[in-house]
Amino acid sequence: MCDVQAKLVAWLDGELPSDEVVGVERHIEECKECRDRLAAYEKVSEIFDVYCDVVVAAKRHGRVSLWVPVLAGAAVATAMIFLAFPRARIEAPSIATPAIKAASVPVPALPMPEPAPRKTIRKRHAVAPVQEQIVRWQPAEAAVQIAIPAEAMFPPGAMPEGMNFIAELSIAPDGSVKQVRVRQ
Amino acid sequence: MSDDSVPLALPLLRLATGSSEVTTLYRELRKPLLRYLVCLGLTSDEAQDVVQDAFLSLQRHLASDGAQENIRGWLFRVAHNQARNRQTSYHRQFGERLDSEMDFLAHDATPEQRVLEKEKFRRLAAAIRLLTEPERECLLLRAGGLHYREIGEVLGIATSTVADTVERAIKKLAEKCNV
Repeated sequence: MCDVQAKLVAWLDGELPSDEVVGVERHIEECKECRDRLAAYEKVSEIFDVYCDVVVAAKRHGRVSLWVPVLAGAAVATAMIFLAFPRARIEAPSIATPAIKAASVPVPALPMPEPAPRKTIRKRHAVAPVQEQIVRWQPAEAAVQIAIPAEAMFPPGAMPEGMNFIAELSIAPDGSVKQVRVRQ
Repeated sequence: MSDDSVPLALPLLRLATGSSEVTTLYRELRKPLLRYLVCLGLTSDEAQDVVQDAFLSLQRHLASDGAQENIRGWLFRVAHNQARNRQTSYHRQFGERLDSEMDFLAHDATPEQRVLEKEKFRRLAAAIRLLTEPERECLLLRAGGLHYREIGEVLGIATSTVADTVERAIKKLAEKCNV
């Protein structure tokens, strides 16, 4: 084993003192063993460099793959929420119906089957308010009365003093004057 | 071994004058720092945190008129020390088997090439596990582009020791990997 072998890596890295470089390079040209070693050191350095990149990429990849189940779970949960809302709306009547049925089943079994008052109560509440509401919602004609002095309508002295006329204006629902009637 | 001062292609003298130089440094050294930290055993998130902290420390260092020589070595040293403080993850995974993770990297290669690549990395991983901690650290810093003098500053050892350690580690890997 020659002494130069211990300096091959430093020469490869450009870390050899300048006064030793020439001698080492001359030896490398002549020594096949050192050339082979140098090639091996160069190759293993390259592999090591690539290996570092692989480690970094693998860890980054591992971090991404950790997020995949998390994101997938979030997506499934979101989908379930969106699916649950329309289903609840559709199922609302079907939930109410069995409840009524369930309530109606024990009613005949009760010892006091007197449905008559219920019917009368239902009629009162069902008919009377509806009629009132219809009357309320009919458009009513507004009437406006305006007192007009006679002097404003006739020349002075034509009518006795202090006489007034009343103008009754019927206002249509749209706000326009529908009818005017003047009376004393 | 050479103890000459290492010229850095960075505008170090103007660092304190503005943040654009720090931004340039960040763009240049962020990836090598991240790679070094991840290979030390930190997770990607931990490495990101450490790099950010290191650059914050750099800003404070420059704002307080700290030394502007060998900023690259300074940053690696700060990051290295912060990584060491995270003892639970330090050296956790470097050298572990990466069989399943390597599948997505070699998708362009033929099946035969993929098998060979995997075998090559498997042998290297096994060889890395046989290295001592200083040997691994020296090789990682060397792979990060640091000079022996800078590696010595990061690890707190002499430049000649770095040269011996690197040479010994490379020899071990070459023998174990059969290259």
